[in-house]
Amino acid sequence: MPHVPLTPDLGAVVSFEGAGVRLPKLNRRKVGRSRNRLKRIRGDVARDEIWFVRDATFSLQPGEALAIVGHLNSGRDQLLRLAAGTLIADEGTVRRSVPIVPLVGLGGALGGSYTVRQNIYLLGSLLGMTQAEIVERLPGIVERADVGKILDKFLGDSSRLVRGRIAWSIAMATQAPAFAISQALTVGQPSFQQQCWEIVEERHAAGVSFLVVSDKPSELKRFCDRAILIDEGRVLADTTVEDALDRLKDIPPPKDQVHFVIDDDDDDDDAELI
Amino acid sequence: MLTLWRHRQVLRMLVLRDLQRQYTKFRLGYLWTIIEPLGMSIVLWFVFSMLLGPRKLGLQPYLLFLSVAILPWWWFTKGIAQMSGVFRKNKGELRISLLPTELWVLRILLVTMMEFILSLPVIIVAVILTRDVPGPLIVLFPLGIALQFVLMYGLGLLIASYAVVIPDLARIVRIAMRALFYLTPVLYSITNIPEHIRPYATLNPLVAPLGLYRVGWWPDEHESYLHYGISLVLCLVIFGVGWWAFKRHEPRILKEA
Repeated sequence: MPHVPLTPDLGAVVSFEGAGVRLPKLNRRKVGRSRNRLKRIRGDVARDEIWFVRDATFSLQPGEALAIVGHLNSGRDQLLRLAAGTLIADEGTVRRSVPIVPLVGLGGALGGSYTVRQNIYLLGSLLGMTQAEIVERLPGIVERADVGKILDKFLGDSSRLVRGRIAWSIAMATQAPAFAISQALTVGQPSFQQQCWEIVEERHAAGVSFLVVSDKPSELKRFCDRAILIDEGRVLADTTVEDALDRLKDIPPPKDQVHFVIDDDDDDDDAELI
Repeated sequence: MLTLWRHRQVLRMLVLRDLQRQYTKFRLGYLWTIIEPLGMSIVLWFVFSMLLGPRKLGLQPYLLFLSVAILPWWWFTKGIAQMSGVFRKNKGELRISLLPTELWVLRILLVTMMEFILSLPVIIVAVILTRDVPGPLIVLFPLGIALQFVLMYGLGLLIASYAVVIPDLARIVRIAMRALFYLTPVLYSITNIPEHIRPYATLNPLVAPLGLYRVGWWPDEHESYLHYGISLVLCLVIFGVGWWAFKRHEPRILKEA
Protein backbone atom coordinates (compact mmCIF):
# COMPACT_ATOMS: atom_id res chain seq x y z
CA MET A 1 0.00 0.00 0.00
CA PRO A 2 2.38 2.67 -1.12
CA HIS A 3 0.04 5.53 -0.63
CA VAL A 4 -0.61 4.65 2.99
CA PRO A 5 2.85 4.70 4.55
CA LEU A 6 3.29 2.88 7.84
CA THR A 7 5.59 3.63 10.75
CA PRO A 8 5.86 0.20 12.39
CA ASP A 9 7.82 1.31 15.46
CA LEU A 10 5.27 3.96 16.43
CA GLY A 11 3.89 3.10 19.86
CA ALA A 12 0.34 4.11 19.01
CA VAL A 13 -1.92 2.70 16.32
CA VAL A 14 -2.29 6.15 14.87
CA SER A 15 -0.88 9.42 16.04
CA PHE A 16 -1.99 12.92 15.00
CA GLU A 17 0.42 15.77 15.57
CA GLY A 18 -1.03 19.15 14.77
CA ALA A 19 -2.74 17.66 11.73
CA GLY A 20 -5.03 19.72 9.56
CA VAL A 21 -6.67 19.41 6.21
CA ARG A 22 -8.49 21.93 4.09
CA LEU A 23 -10.97 20.99 1.44
CA PRO A 24 -12.11 22.95 -1.55
CA LYS A 25 -15.65 24.12 -1.41
CA LEU A 26 -17.74 26.05 -3.84
CA ASN A 27 -19.87 28.68 -2.20
CA ARG A 28 -22.64 30.33 -4.03
CA ARG A 29 -22.67 33.92 -2.99
CA LYS A 30 -25.78 36.02 -2.98
CA VAL A 31 -26.22 37.24 -6.47
CA GLY A 32 -28.30 40.29 -5.68
CA ARG A 33 -29.06 42.65 -8.46
CA SER A 34 -25.67 42.84 -9.93
CA ARG A 35 -25.40 44.93 -13.01
CA ASN A 36 -22.79 42.60 -14.24
CA ARG A 37 -24.69 40.18 -16.47
CA LEU A 38 -21.88 37.70 -16.56
CA LYS A 39 -21.92 37.52 -12.78
CA ARG A 40 -25.65 36.91 -12.81
CA ILE A 41 -25.23 33.96 -15.12
CA ARG A 42 -22.38 32.47 -13.20
CA GLY A 43 -24.17 33.08 -9.93
CA ASP A 44 -20.89 34.37 -8.59
CA VAL A 45 -19.45 31.16 -7.32
CA ALA A 46 -16.53 31.46 -4.98
CA ARG A 47 -13.92 28.75 -4.91
CA ASP A 48 -12.94 28.67 -1.29
CA GLU A 49 -10.95 26.32 0.79
CA ILE A 50 -12.17 25.47 4.23
CA TRP A 51 -10.22 23.86 7.03
CA PHE A 52 -12.14 20.73 7.94
CA VAL A 53 -9.62 19.63 10.53
CA ARG A 54 -7.22 21.98 12.24
CA ASP A 55 -4.36 21.36 14.62
CA ALA A 56 -5.51 17.93 15.77
CA THR A 57 -3.23 16.21 18.24
CA PHE A 58 -4.17 12.89 19.78
CA SER A 59 -3.37 9.24 19.45
CA LEU A 60 -5.13 5.91 19.42
CA GLN A 61 -3.44 3.22 21.50
CA PRO A 62 -3.54 -0.46 20.57
CA GLY A 63 -6.72 -2.15 21.71
CA GLU A 64 -8.51 1.11 22.35
CA ALA A 65 -11.92 2.18 21.07
CA LEU A 66 -11.96 5.92 20.65
CA ALA A 67 -15.16 7.85 19.99
CA ILE A 68 -15.04 10.97 17.82
CA VAL A 69 -17.84 13.08 19.25
CA GLY A 70 -19.08 16.02 17.24
CA HIS A 71 -21.91 17.33 15.15
CA LEU A 72 -22.45 16.53 11.53
CA ASN A 73 -19.96 18.45 9.34
CA SER A 74 -17.66 19.04 12.28
CA GLY A 75 -14.85 17.26 10.49
CA ARG A 76 -15.41 13.82 12.02
CA ASP A 77 -15.33 11.86 8.81
CA GLN A 78 -12.30 13.76 7.58
CA LEU A 79 -10.54 12.83 10.80
CA LEU A 80 -11.25 9.17 10.11
CA ARG A 81 -10.03 9.43 6.56
CA LEU A 82 -6.85 11.13 7.72
CA ALA A 83 -6.32 8.28 10.16
CA ALA A 84 -6.80 5.67 7.47
CA GLY A 85 -4.61 7.59 5.05
CA THR A 86 -7.21 8.06 2.32
CA LEU A 87 -6.76 11.77 2.91
CA ILE A 88 -3.35 13.41 3.31
CA ALA A 89 -2.83 16.15 5.89
CA ASP A 90 -1.98 19.66 4.65
CA GLU A 91 -0.26 20.55 7.91
CA GLY A 92 1.14 18.54 10.75
CA THR A 93 1.58 14.80 10.52
CA VAL A 94 -0.51 11.68 10.82
CA ARG A 95 1.41 8.50 11.34
CA ARG A 96 0.10 5.00 11.75
CA SER A 97 1.77 1.74 12.66
CA VAL A 98 -0.75 -0.63 11.09
CA PRO A 99 -3.18 -0.40 8.20
CA ILE A 100 -6.51 1.03 9.29
CA VAL A 101 -9.57 -0.04 7.34
CA PRO A 102 -11.88 2.91 6.71
CA LEU A 103 -15.60 2.31 6.87
CA VAL A 104 -16.60 5.76 5.68
CA GLY A 105 -19.33 5.74 3.07
CA LEU A 106 -18.49 2.17 2.18
CA GLY A 107 -21.60 1.68 0.10
CA GLY A 108 -20.33 4.31 -2.36
CA ALA A 109 -17.67 1.96 -3.60
CA LEU A 110 -20.14 -0.75 -4.60
CA GLY A 111 -21.06 -0.75 -8.27
CA GLY A 112 -24.56 -1.54 -9.42
CA SER A 113 -23.39 -2.89 -12.74
CA TYR A 114 -21.30 -5.57 -11.09
CA THR A 115 -22.59 -8.77 -9.59
CA VAL A 116 -22.54 -9.23 -5.85
CA ARG A 117 -19.61 -11.60 -6.15
CA GLN A 118 -17.66 -9.11 -8.25
CA ASN A 119 -18.42 -6.39 -5.73
CA ILE A 120 -17.06 -8.53 -2.94
CA TYR A 121 -13.82 -9.04 -4.86
CA LEU A 122 -13.61 -5.37 -5.73
CA LEU A 123 -14.25 -3.91 -2.31
CA GLY A 124 -12.17 -6.60 -0.67
CA SER A 125 -9.20 -5.65 -2.85
CA LEU A 126 -9.70 -1.95 -2.20
CA LEU A 127 -9.58 -2.62 1.51
CA GLY A 128 -6.28 -4.38 1.08
CA MET A 129 -7.13 -8.07 0.91
CA THR A 130 -5.29 -10.26 -1.57
CA GLN A 131 -7.13 -12.37 -4.09
CA ALA A 132 -6.29 -15.55 -2.20
CA GLU A 133 -7.60 -14.15 1.06
CA ILE A 134 -10.86 -13.16 -0.55
CA VAL A 135 -11.32 -16.60 -2.07
CA GLU A 136 -10.71 -18.15 1.31
CA ARG A 137 -13.07 -15.82 3.19
CA LEU A 138 -15.80 -15.63 0.57
CA PRO A 139 -18.11 -18.20 2.21
CA GLY A 140 -17.92 -16.31 5.49
CA ILE A 141 -18.70 -12.98 3.85
CA VAL A 142 -21.62 -14.45 1.91
CA GLU A 143 -23.05 -16.03 5.01
CA ARG A 144 -22.74 -12.93 7.14
CA ALA A 145 -24.20 -10.64 4.49
CA ASP A 146 -26.87 -13.24 3.70
CA VAL A 147 -26.47 -12.86 -0.06
CA GLY A 148 -26.14 -16.54 -0.98
CA LYS A 149 -29.16 -16.37 -3.27
CA ILE A 150 -28.12 -13.25 -5.16
CA LEU A 151 -24.39 -13.90 -5.27
CA ASP A 152 -24.23 -13.96 -9.06
CA LYS A 153 -26.95 -11.43 -9.71
CA PHE A 154 -26.21 -7.81 -10.44
CA LEU A 155 -26.25 -5.59 -7.41
CA GLY A 156 -28.24 -3.14 -9.50
CA ASP A 157 -30.60 -0.98 -7.51
CA SER A 158 -30.71 -3.22 -4.48
CA SER A 159 -31.57 -1.52 -1.25
CA ARG A 160 -29.24 0.32 1.05
CA LEU A 161 -29.78 -2.44 3.56
CA VAL A 162 -28.27 -5.05 1.29
CA ARG A 163 -25.40 -2.78 0.31
CA GLY A 164 -24.69 -1.99 3.92
CA ARG A 165 -24.66 -5.66 4.83
CA ILE A 166 -22.29 -6.54 2.00
CA ALA A 167 -19.90 -3.68 2.72
CA TRP A 168 -19.85 -4.36 6.41
CA SER A 169 -19.26 -8.08 5.97
CA ILE A 170 -16.35 -7.45 3.64
CA ALA A 171 -14.80 -4.90 5.97
CA MET A 172 -14.91 -7.31 8.87
CA ALA A 173 -13.41 -10.06 6.74
CA THR A 174 -10.23 -7.99 6.28
CA GLN A 175 -9.31 -8.94 9.87
CA ALA A 176 -7.42 -5.67 10.09
CA PRO A 177 -5.81 -4.65 13.37
CA ALA A 178 -7.67 -1.32 13.32
CA PHE A 179 -10.88 0.12 11.91
CA ALA A 180 -12.23 3.62 11.42
CA ILE A 181 -16.01 3.34 11.46
CA SER A 182 -18.43 6.09 10.55
CA GLN A 183 -22.14 5.48 10.88
CA ALA A 184 -21.56 2.08 9.36
CA LEU A 185 -23.62 0.49 12.05
CA THR A 186 -26.70 2.52 11.35
CA VAL A 187 -27.64 0.54 8.28
CA GLY A 188 -29.57 -2.68 8.34
CA GLN A 189 -32.27 -4.12 10.47
CA PRO A 190 -31.87 -4.00 14.25
CA SER A 191 -30.98 -7.67 14.31
CA PHE A 192 -28.13 -7.12 11.84
CA GLN A 193 -26.92 -4.09 13.73
CA GLN A 194 -26.95 -6.11 16.90
CA GLN A 195 -24.88 -8.75 15.20
CA CYS A 196 -22.40 -6.13 14.00
CA TRP A 197 -21.95 -4.74 17.45
CA GLU A 198 -21.30 -8.17 18.80
CA ILE A 199 -18.57 -8.70 16.24
CA VAL A 200 -17.05 -5.32 17.03
CA GLU A 201 -17.08 -6.05 20.73
CA GLU A 202 -15.57 -9.44 20.15
CA ARG A 203 -12.78 -7.92 18.05
CA HIS A 204 -12.27 -5.15 20.57
CA ALA A 205 -11.84 -7.71 23.32
CA ALA A 206 -9.27 -9.45 21.14
CA GLY A 207 -7.18 -6.28 20.96
CA VAL A 208 -8.36 -4.63 17.73
CA SER A 209 -8.47 -0.83 17.82
CA PHE A 210 -11.39 1.30 16.69
CA LEU A 211 -12.14 4.90 15.84
CA VAL A 212 -15.89 5.36 15.95
CA VAL A 213 -18.19 8.10 14.68
CA SER A 214 -21.85 7.66 15.50
CA ASP A 215 -24.88 9.81 16.08
CA LYS A 216 -26.22 7.37 18.65
CA PRO A 217 -24.89 8.25 22.12
CA SER A 218 -25.93 4.85 23.46
CA GLU A 219 -23.61 3.06 21.05
CA LEU A 220 -20.66 5.23 21.95
CA LYS A 221 -21.28 4.88 25.67
CA ARG A 222 -21.57 1.15 25.45
CA PHE A 223 -18.56 0.59 23.34
CA CYS A 224 -15.88 3.29 23.56
CA ASP A 225 -13.20 3.72 26.19
CA ARG A 226 -12.36 7.34 25.49
CA ALA A 227 -13.62 10.23 23.42
CA ILE A 228 -12.37 13.16 21.43
CA LEU A 229 -14.69 16.14 21.27
CA ILE A 230 -14.48 17.97 17.98
CA ASP A 231 -16.15 21.10 16.72
CA GLU A 232 -15.49 22.96 13.50
CA GLY A 233 -12.44 20.85 12.91
CA ARG A 234 -10.77 21.55 16.23
CA VAL A 235 -10.23 19.02 18.95
CA LEU A 236 -11.74 20.56 22.07
CA ALA A 237 -11.16 17.80 24.57
CA ASP A 238 -9.67 14.37 25.06
CA THR A 239 -11.89 12.94 27.76
CA THR A 240 -14.42 10.28 28.75
CA VAL A 241 -17.33 9.42 26.50
CA GLU A 242 -19.93 10.72 28.99
CA ASP A 243 -18.15 14.01 29.45
CA ALA A 244 -17.73 14.53 25.72
CA LEU A 245 -21.40 13.80 25.05
CA ASP A 246 -22.44 16.18 27.84
CA ARG A 247 -20.29 18.95 26.50
CA LEU A 248 -21.54 18.37 22.98
CA LYS A 249 -25.02 19.40 24.15
CA ASP A 250 -23.67 22.89 24.90
CA ILE A 251 -22.22 23.30 21.44
CA PRO A 252 -24.69 24.65 18.91
CA PRO A 253 -24.90 22.51 15.79
CA PRO A 254 -23.38 24.23 12.79
CA LYS A 255 -25.73 26.34 10.76
CA ASP A 256 -26.96 24.54 7.72
CA GLN A 257 -24.04 25.09 5.48
CA VAL A 258 -25.73 24.50 2.20
CA HIS A 259 -22.84 24.55 -0.10
CA PHE A 260 -23.03 24.65 -3.77
CA VAL A 261 -22.42 21.40 -5.55
CA ILE A 262 -22.05 21.11 -9.26
CA ASP A 263 -23.55 17.85 -10.45
CA ASP A 264 -21.47 16.54 -13.15
CA ASP A 265 -22.93 13.91 -15.32
CA ASP A 266 -21.32 15.70 -18.19
CA ASP A 267 -19.95 13.86 -21.14
CA ASP A 268 -16.68 15.72 -21.18
CA ASP A 269 -14.70 12.59 -21.60
CA ASP A 270 -16.45 11.10 -24.56
CA ALA A 271 -13.87 10.37 -27.15
CA GLU A 272 -14.32 11.46 -30.69
CA LEU A 273 -12.00 10.47 -33.43
CA ILE A 274 -11.84 13.77 -35.18
CA MET B 1 5.21 0.42 -13.20
CA LEU B 2 5.72 -1.39 -9.93
CA THR B 3 2.07 -0.80 -9.12
CA LEU B 4 1.18 -2.52 -12.33
CA TRP B 5 2.92 -5.67 -11.23
CA ARG B 6 2.10 -5.62 -7.55
CA HIS B 7 -1.59 -5.08 -8.07
CA ARG B 8 -1.98 -7.10 -11.23
CA GLN B 9 -4.74 -9.22 -9.77
CA VAL B 10 -6.94 -6.28 -8.85
CA LEU B 11 -6.20 -4.65 -12.16
CA ARG B 12 -7.00 -7.76 -14.13
CA MET B 13 -10.28 -8.01 -12.31
CA LEU B 14 -11.17 -4.37 -12.86
CA VAL B 15 -10.24 -4.48 -16.52
CA LEU B 16 -12.11 -7.70 -17.23
CA ARG B 17 -15.15 -6.33 -15.48
CA ASP B 18 -15.07 -3.06 -17.37
CA LEU B 19 -14.81 -4.87 -20.68
CA GLN B 20 -17.56 -7.22 -19.73
CA ARG B 21 -19.77 -4.32 -18.75
CA GLN B 22 -19.15 -2.57 -22.04
CA TYR B 23 -19.81 -5.66 -24.06
CA THR B 24 -23.05 -6.44 -22.31
CA LYS B 25 -24.31 -2.89 -22.59
CA PHE B 26 -24.82 -2.92 -26.35
CA ARG B 27 -26.56 -5.53 -28.44
CA LEU B 28 -23.65 -6.03 -30.77
CA GLY B 29 -21.24 -6.16 -27.85
CA TYR B 30 -17.71 -6.95 -28.89
CA LEU B 31 -18.48 -6.33 -32.56
CA TRP B 32 -18.51 -2.59 -31.86
CA THR B 33 -14.83 -2.76 -31.06
CA ILE B 34 -14.35 -3.85 -34.68
CA ILE B 35 -17.09 -1.91 -36.42
CA GLU B 36 -16.22 1.51 -35.06
CA PRO B 37 -12.58 1.72 -36.24
CA LEU B 38 -13.28 -0.29 -39.39
CA GLY B 39 -16.10 2.04 -40.35
CA MET B 40 -13.90 5.05 -39.69
CA SER B 41 -11.07 3.62 -41.75
CA ILE B 42 -13.39 2.94 -44.67
CA VAL B 43 -14.89 6.44 -44.54
CA LEU B 44 -11.48 8.09 -44.47
CA TRP B 45 -10.13 5.76 -47.13
CA PHE B 46 -13.09 6.58 -49.35
CA VAL B 47 -12.66 10.34 -48.91
CA PHE B 48 -8.91 10.54 -49.23
CA SER B 49 -8.33 7.81 -51.73
CA MET B 50 -11.43 7.71 -53.90
CA LEU B 51 -12.96 11.17 -53.78
CA LEU B 52 -9.79 13.19 -53.72
CA GLY B 53 -8.09 10.92 -56.20
CA PRO B 54 -4.76 9.15 -55.94
CA ARG B 55 -2.62 11.92 -54.58
CA LYS B 56 0.62 11.48 -52.76
CA LEU B 57 -1.07 11.12 -49.38
CA GLY B 58 0.14 8.24 -47.26
CA LEU B 59 1.52 5.05 -48.66
CA GLN B 60 -0.13 2.28 -50.61
CA PRO B 61 -2.33 0.34 -50.07
CA TYR B 62 -4.00 3.26 -48.38
CA LEU B 63 -6.78 1.35 -46.59
CA LEU B 64 -4.21 -0.76 -44.79
CA PHE B 65 -1.94 2.22 -44.19
CA LEU B 66 -4.85 4.03 -42.58
CA SER B 67 -6.21 1.25 -40.41
CA VAL B 68 -2.81 0.38 -38.96
CA ALA B 69 -2.63 3.91 -37.51
CA ILE B 70 -6.33 4.53 -36.85
CA LEU B 71 -6.55 1.70 -34.30
CA PRO B 72 -3.75 2.92 -32.04
CA TRP B 73 -4.96 6.49 -32.46
CA TRP B 74 -8.38 5.33 -31.32
CA TRP B 75 -6.77 3.79 -28.24
CA PHE B 76 -4.86 7.02 -27.60
CA THR B 77 -7.79 9.36 -27.95
CA LYS B 78 -10.22 7.18 -25.99
CA GLY B 79 -7.81 6.68 -23.15
CA ILE B 80 -6.64 10.27 -22.87
CA ALA B 81 -10.18 11.66 -23.08
CA GLN B 82 -11.22 9.65 -20.03
CA MET B 83 -8.24 10.75 -17.97
CA SER B 84 -9.60 14.17 -17.08
CA GLY B 85 -12.55 12.71 -15.23
CA VAL B 86 -10.94 9.66 -13.73
CA PHE B 87 -10.65 10.77 -10.11
CA ARG B 88 -14.03 12.49 -10.11
CA LYS B 89 -15.68 9.32 -11.38
CA ASN B 90 -14.05 7.09 -8.80
CA LYS B 91 -14.92 9.18 -5.75
CA GLY B 92 -16.55 6.34 -3.89
CA GLU B 93 -13.56 4.09 -4.35
CA LEU B 94 -10.96 6.75 -3.56
CA ARG B 95 -12.58 7.47 -0.23
CA ILE B 96 -11.86 4.04 1.15
CA SER B 97 -9.23 2.59 -1.12
CA LEU B 98 -6.01 1.55 0.55
CA LEU B 99 -4.53 0.83 -2.88
CA PRO B 100 -2.30 3.28 -4.73
CA THR B 101 -4.15 6.14 -6.36
CA GLU B 102 -2.53 5.67 -9.78
CA LEU B 103 -4.47 2.42 -10.06
CA TRP B 104 -7.44 4.25 -11.55
CA VAL B 105 -5.32 5.76 -14.28
CA LEU B 106 -3.84 2.37 -15.04
CA ARG B 107 -7.29 0.86 -15.19
CA ILE B 108 -8.44 3.18 -17.98
CA LEU B 109 -5.17 2.69 -19.76
CA LEU B 110 -5.46 -1.08 -19.65
CA VAL B 111 -9.13 -1.20 -20.59
CA THR B 112 -8.55 0.93 -23.67
CA MET B 113 -5.42 -1.06 -24.49
CA MET B 114 -7.37 -4.31 -24.33
CA GLU B 115 -9.97 -2.81 -26.63
CA PHE B 116 -7.18 -1.87 -29.01
CA ILE B 117 -5.78 -5.38 -28.96
CA LEU B 118 -9.24 -6.83 -29.43
CA SER B 119 -9.74 -4.56 -32.42
CA LEU B 120 -6.61 -5.83 -34.20
CA PRO B 121 -8.70 -8.18 -36.40
CA VAL B 122 -9.52 -5.00 -38.34
CA ILE B 123 -5.92 -4.98 -39.55
CA ILE B 124 -6.24 -8.63 -40.50
CA VAL B 125 -9.34 -7.79 -42.51
CA ALA B 126 -7.43 -4.98 -44.20
CA VAL B 127 -4.52 -7.33 -44.94
CA ILE B 128 -6.89 -9.80 -46.55
CA LEU B 129 -8.62 -7.08 -48.57
CA THR B 130 -5.38 -5.60 -49.82
CA ARG B 131 -3.41 -8.88 -49.97
CA ASP B 132 -0.40 -7.13 -48.50
CA VAL B 133 1.37 -9.41 -46.02
CA PRO B 134 3.81 -7.69 -43.64
CA GLY B 135 7.52 -8.35 -43.64
CA PRO B 136 9.70 -9.56 -40.76
CA LEU B 137 9.85 -6.12 -39.14
CA ILE B 138 6.27 -6.72 -37.94
CA VAL B 139 7.94 -8.08 -34.79
CA LEU B 140 8.38 -4.41 -33.80
CA PHE B 141 4.60 -4.04 -33.48
CA PRO B 142 4.53 -5.00 -29.75
CA LEU B 143 7.32 -2.51 -29.14
CA GLY B 144 5.01 0.18 -30.50
CA ILE B 145 2.37 -0.90 -27.99
CA ALA B 146 4.88 -0.70 -25.14
CA LEU B 147 6.05 2.75 -26.18
CA GLN B 148 2.51 4.05 -26.55
CA PHE B 149 1.68 2.60 -23.14
CA VAL B 150 4.50 4.53 -21.44
CA LEU B 151 3.53 7.70 -23.27
CA MET B 152 -0.14 7.38 -22.36
CA TYR B 153 0.64 6.52 -18.75
CA GLY B 154 2.70 9.67 -18.35
CA LEU B 155 0.27 11.87 -20.22
CA GLY B 156 -2.66 10.30 -18.38
CA LEU B 157 -1.16 10.98 -14.95
CA LEU B 158 -0.39 14.53 -15.99
CA ILE B 159 -3.88 15.25 -17.29
CA ALA B 160 -5.66 13.40 -14.50
CA SER B 161 -3.74 15.34 -11.84
CA TYR B 162 -4.18 18.78 -13.31
CA ALA B 163 -7.83 18.18 -14.22
CA VAL B 164 -8.54 17.98 -10.51
CA VAL B 165 -7.13 21.47 -9.98
CA ILE B 166 -8.38 22.94 -13.26
CA PRO B 167 -11.73 21.45 -14.29
CA ASP B 168 -11.52 23.28 -17.61
CA LEU B 169 -8.70 21.01 -18.67
CA ALA B 170 -11.17 18.43 -20.00
CA ARG B 171 -12.27 20.89 -22.68
CA ILE B 172 -8.75 21.94 -23.49
CA VAL B 173 -7.71 18.33 -23.92
CA ARG B 174 -10.55 17.78 -26.35
CA ILE B 175 -9.41 20.60 -28.58
CA ALA B 176 -5.79 19.55 -28.28
CA MET B 177 -6.65 16.01 -29.32
CA ARG B 178 -8.33 17.28 -32.45
CA ALA B 179 -5.32 19.34 -33.36
CA LEU B 180 -3.03 16.46 -32.61
CA PHE B 181 -4.96 14.20 -34.97
CA TYR B 182 -3.99 16.36 -37.90
CA LEU B 183 -0.49 17.02 -36.65
CA THR B 184 0.24 13.32 -36.32
CA PRO B 185 1.03 11.12 -39.29
CA VAL B 186 -2.19 9.12 -39.16
CA LEU B 187 -3.82 10.11 -42.42
CA TYR B 188 -0.48 10.72 -44.05
CA SER B 189 3.05 9.43 -43.86
CA ILE B 190 5.90 11.23 -42.19
CA THR B 191 7.54 11.24 -45.62
CA ASN B 192 4.72 13.46 -46.91
CA ILE B 193 5.98 16.27 -44.72
CA PRO B 194 8.38 18.60 -46.54
CA GLU B 195 11.93 17.86 -45.60
CA HIS B 196 12.73 21.18 -43.97
CA ILE B 197 9.98 20.90 -41.35
CA ARG B 198 10.21 17.15 -40.84
CA PRO B 199 12.57 17.43 -37.83
CA TYR B 200 9.90 19.41 -35.99
CA ALA B 201 7.27 16.81 -36.84
CA THR B 202 9.36 14.13 -35.21
CA LEU B 203 9.10 16.03 -31.94
CA ASN B 204 5.61 14.55 -31.74
CA PRO B 205 6.01 11.60 -29.36
CA LEU B 206 3.35 9.64 -31.24
CA VAL B 207 5.53 9.42 -34.32
CA ALA B 208 7.65 6.59 -32.96
CA PRO B 209 4.88 4.22 -31.87
CA LEU B 210 2.99 4.80 -35.12
CA GLY B 211 6.18 4.19 -37.05
CA LEU B 212 6.78 0.95 -35.19
CA TYR B 213 3.29 -0.25 -36.05
CA ARG B 214 3.76 0.51 -39.72
CA VAL B 215 7.35 -0.56 -40.19
CA GLY B 216 6.36 -4.18 -40.92
CA TRP B 217 4.62 -3.14 -44.12
CA TRP B 218 6.58 -0.04 -45.08
CA PRO B 219 10.17 -0.60 -43.87
CA ASP B 220 11.50 2.48 -45.62
CA GLU B 221 8.95 4.96 -44.24
CA HIS B 222 11.51 6.18 -41.77
CA GLU B 223 14.88 7.00 -43.17
CA SER B 224 16.50 7.54 -39.82
CA TYR B 225 16.38 5.78 -36.51
CA LEU B 226 16.94 9.17 -34.96
CA HIS B 227 13.15 9.65 -35.07
CA TYR B 228 12.71 6.72 -32.77
CA GLY B 229 15.43 7.95 -30.46
CA ILE B 230 13.91 11.41 -30.11
CA SER B 231 10.46 10.00 -29.65
CA LEU B 232 11.58 7.47 -27.07
CA VAL B 233 13.33 10.11 -25.00
CA LEU B 234 10.22 12.30 -25.25
CA CYS B 235 7.97 9.48 -24.06
CA LEU B 236 10.20 8.92 -21.05
CA VAL B 237 10.36 12.63 -20.27
CA ILE B 238 6.57 12.90 -20.44
CA PHE B 239 6.29 9.91 -18.15
CA GLY B 240 8.65 11.54 -15.66
CA VAL B 241 6.77 14.83 -15.73
CA GLY B 242 3.43 13.03 -15.38
CA TRP B 243 4.63 11.06 -12.40
CA TRP B 244 6.02 14.17 -10.74
CA ALA B 245 2.77 16.08 -11.27
CA PHE B 246 0.76 13.18 -9.94
CA LYS B 247 2.84 12.81 -6.78
CA ARG B 248 2.68 16.53 -6.22
CA HIS B 249 -1.10 16.66 -6.52
CA GLU B 250 -1.95 13.41 -4.79
CA PRO B 251 -3.16 15.07 -1.55
CA ARG B 252 -5.41 17.30 -3.63
CA ILE B 253 -6.68 14.36 -5.66
CA LEU B 254 -7.72 12.51 -2.54
CA LYS B 255 -9.74 15.54 -1.48
CA GLU B 256 -11.97 15.04 -4.49
CA ALA B 257 -13.53 12.02 -2.81
